[in-house]
Amino acid sequence: MTLLDLPSNRDEAWRWSDLSALPEIAARAPAGVVPEALPWIDCAEGPRLLFVDGCLDESRSDLGPVAIGPVEVDPEGHALARLAGRVGWSLRLGRDHAPSGPVQIVHLSTGGADHLAGEIVLDEDAQASIVESFVGEGWSNRLTRIRLARSARLMLARRVMASVGFVSFTDRATVGEGASLVATVLAAGGADTRIDGSILLTGEGAYAEAGGALLARGRQRHDANYVVRHEAPQGTSRQLWRSVADDRAICSVAARVEVARGAQKTDGEQSLKGLLLSRSAQVNAKPELEIFADDVKCAHGATVGELNRDALFYMASRGVPREEARALLTTAFVADAIERVGEEAVREAMHADAEAWFAKTPLPLGEREGPAAEGGGRVRA
Amino acid sequence: MTDANQVQERNREAQEAVDRASSYEWGFTSDIEQDFAPKGLSEDTVRYISAKKNEPEWMLEWRLKAYRAWLEMEEVSWAKLDIPAIDFQDAYYYAEPKAKPTLGSLDEVDPEILRVYEKLGIPIEEQKVLAGVEGARKVAVDAVFDSVSVATTFRAELEKAGVIFRSISEAVREYPDLVRKWLGSVVPQRDNYFACLNSAVFSDGTFVYIPEGVRCPMELSTYFRINAANTGQFERTLIVADKGSYVSYLEGCTAPMRDENQLHAAVVELVALDDAEIKYSTVQNWYPGDAEGKGGIYNFVTKRGACRGARSKISWTQVETGSAITWKYPSCILQGEESVGEFYSVAVTNNRQQADTGTKMIHIGKNSRSTIVSKGISAGRSNNTYRGLVRVLANAENVRNFTQCDSLLLGDQCGAHTVPYIEVRNPSAQIEHEATTSKISDDQLFYAMSRGLSREDSVALIVNGFAREVLQQLPMEFAVEAQKLLGISLEGSVG
Repeated sequence: MTLLDLPSNRDEAWRWSDLSALPEIAARAPAGVVPEALPWIDCAEGPRLLFVDGCLDESRSDLGPVAIGPVEVDPEGHALARLAGRVGWSLRLGRDHAPSGPVQIVHLSTGGADHLAGEIVLDEDAQASIVESFVGEGWSNRLTRIRLARSARLMLARRVMASVGFVSFTDRATVGEGASLVATVLAAGGADTRIDGSILLTGEGAYAEAGGALLARGRQRHDANYVVRHEAPQGTSRQLWRSVADDRAICSVAARVEVARGAQKTDGEQSLKGLLLSRSAQVNAKPELEIFADDVKCAHGATVGELNRDALFYMASRGVPREEARALLTTAFVADAIERVGEEAVREAMHADAEAWFAKTPLPLGEREGPAAEGGGRVRA
Repeated sequence: MTDANQVQERNREAQEAVDRASSYEWGFTSDIEQDFAPKGLSEDTVRYISAKKNEPEWMLEWRLKAYRAWLEMEEVSWAKLDIPAIDFQDAYYYAEPKAKPTLGSLDEVDPEILRVYEKLGIPIEEQKVLAGVEGARKVAVDAVFDSVSVATTFRAELEKAGVIFRSISEAVREYPDLVRKWLGSVVPQRDNYFACLNSAVFSDGTFVYIPEGVRCPMELSTYFRINAANTGQFERTLIVADKGSYVSYLEGCTAPMRDENQLHAAVVELVALDDAEIKYSTVQNWYPGDAEGKGGIYNFVTKRGACRGARSKISWTQVETGSAITWKYPSCILQGEESVGEFYSVAVTNNRQQADTGTKMIHIGKNSRSTIVSKGISAGRSNNTYRGLVRVLANAENVRNFTQCDSLLLGDQCGAHTVPYIEVRNPSAQIEHEATTSKISDDQLFYAMSRGLSREDSVALIVNGFAREVLQQLPMEFAVEAQKLLGISLEGSVG
C-alpha cells in the first residue's frame, strides 16, 4: 500500500469530500472469505467476473471475451485513480461484436484497500452491457477507461451495495461519432462513495448519459463529480442525478457540461435533484455549464427540498401509512435515474436494490452501520 | 445657459454618444494637479494615507493590522479568470486632486473637475438644482474623484431627516463611534486578498447612516472615477440602515482611457437592522480595454450585505458593462427571520473582457427568502461567468430561493459559464435553480429587421428584452443610462 496522498477540501474538485477514513480502512487486513450468495443478476448468460479484494477468483468467473492483464490508462493526476494501477480487466470487442449477455462484474472487498483498473474498448458498431456490483466492507478503488468507436453502444451500470467502507471509481471515456454511452450509478449500500468521471464526446452526433441515484443515511457520504465535454458538433448529453439524504448523511453532486469552441448544435441537459429526509442531512449540488460555442442548447435545473407535503397528505387521506407513503414517494423520486438503464433485468435489479434500501428500518443514530448489502452481500469477517 | 438649453444640449450629447461610441466615450484624461503618495506599497504608504486624512490613532492601527495580514495572504485563483500578475509596488495608492482643503459646495470645486463631471453626464438632477430649479427628483451626490470625496451635496436636507451621508474619511473624524462599530463587521479584514488590501489602503468612500424609522428622502448617489494613471482606487462604502429605515443607493463608475491596467479593489458593507431595507444599484462602465485587450480596469470588489434584523431586506442590482476583469460577488447574509435578499445582475462582456460575477445567499434566519436573477451576455472573444452560492444552514426553516441564470452568446468566439453552488442543510428549504444558454435566433433578428431596424438596433433591442427583468429593478435615472450602455458595449459585436 502506497502512502496515501489525499486531496483536501481546499481543492475545488474535492470541496465536499471527506476522505479522512480511508487510511484507517486501508490499514485493516482483508479476511478473504467469500460468502455463498453474491449479487449476480438473473439474466441472459454473459461473462461473469468475481474480483475478491481486487484479485480475480477464477473458479467463480467465466471470462468470455474479457481478458486480464495490463490496461492502457492514464489517470491524469487524479488522486484516487492514480492508485488504481495499470493492471486489470479488459473488454475489447471487434466490429459488430457483442457479448452473449450482460457482462457482470462483482467486486467483493473483505477488508483493507484494493485497487484495480479496467478497460472497455468497442470497435465500430460493437455493443455491450456491463454491470458492476460492489459488495463487502473495505475500500474498493477502480479506474475504468472507455473508448467507443463510431456507432458503438455501451450501457454501464454500477450498483454500490457495500455494507460499510468506501467505494471509489473513476471513469475516463471517449465517445466517437454516433456512439452512445449510458452510465448509471446506484449507491444503495452503507459505504461512502466518491464517483468521478469524464466523458469526452469526440465524434459528431455522439450521445452520452451520466447519472444515478445516491441514497445515504446514518453518517454516510456520497460525493459525485462528473464532467461531460462536447468536443464535436451535434452531440447530445444528459446528466440526471437524484440524491436522497437521511439522518446526518451528506450527498454531493458536482456535474459539469463543457462545450468546446466549434461544438455547435450541442444539446446538453442537466437535472440535479436532492431530497432531504431529516433535519440534519445535507444535500450539495453544483450544476455547472462551461460554454464556448454559440449555437447550442444547454440548460440545467436543480432543486433541493423535502417530500411534497401535499402528496403525503393525499396518501394519508387514502389510508397509506406514513412510513409507506414516504418510501413510495422517495422510490418514485429516484426511479427517474434508474429508468435510464437499458437492460431490463439490470434495471429491475437496481429498482429492487433501491426498494430494499428504503425498506430498511431506520436504527437510532449512532447504532447504525448501514444496511447489509442486498442480494447476498452479507459479508462479515 | 438656461435650464432648457442645458437639457437639450445634453440630449444631443447623449444621442451623439450612442451614434459614435464604438470607442470608449469617457476615455478622456484631465490634467488636474494631483497629490500623490510615493509609489509602491509599504507600511509607510499606509501611514501616509492615514496622516493625509488626519485619521485618529485607532484607524491607523486598524489599517496597519490589515496591511500585515495582507502580506501573509495569497491571491485568489479559483475564478475563471486569466489575471496577469499584478505588481502591487508599481502603483500609486493615493492620489488627491489639489483642490481647496475644505469645500462647502460644488461651486468651490475646481472647474476642471466640474467639467469632467459634466462630460460624464451624470448629475443631471443635481445640476438642475444647482441652477436654482426644483428637480422632479432629488439625488444627493457624493462624488469620489480618484481618492478623495470632493464634495457632498444636499447635506443639509439629509441632515434634517437625520441621515448621515459623508465621505468615509469625514465620517471617521465626525462619527468615529459609528464607524468604529460597523467598519469591518460585514467584510472582516482577512475576508479575502483584495478586501484585506482595501482595508489597509482604502482612500475614500461613502458612509451612510439612516436612523431608526427614517425613509431617506432622496436617492443617494456616488460617482466613482479613476483619473490618474497607475493609481489604484480603493474605496470603502459602509451603509447602515437602522430599524425600520429605507435607503436607495446608486453607484456609478467610469474611468478614462489608459493603456496600463488600473487596479480597483473596493469594499462595500451594508447592514440592515429590523424592518430596514437597502437597495443598492450599480452601473459599472470602467474602461474595458481596447479590442485587443490592451489596458482596462481590474475590478476586484467585495460587496456584502448583512440582513441582521427581522424582516430586513437587501437588494443588489448591478449592470456590469465595463472593466477588463470583473471579480465581484455582491452577497447577502440573511440572519434575520423573514429577511429577504435579492440579486439582479446584467453582465456584458465584449472583445477580450473577462467577468466572473455572481452572488452568495447565506440563509441563517428562519423564513428567509432570496431571489437571484442573472443575465450574462458575451460577445467578441470575451468570457462571462456566473458564480453563485446558495447555502441554507440547519436552523433556517422554510427557506425559499429561486435562481435564474440566463446566458446569451453573440458570436462563436466567446464563452458563457455558469457555476452555481447549492448547499442545503434543512429539509424544509425549497431551492430552485434554472439556467439556460442561448443565442439570438435568426427568427428574432429577421423579425426586428423586417420592421426597419438596423442589425445593431435589432440586437440592442433583443438584448434589452433579454435583460429587462434586471433593468426594471434600477431606479429611473439609471435605467435609461444602463440601456444605452448595453447597446454601446455590444456595438461592433454582430454582423
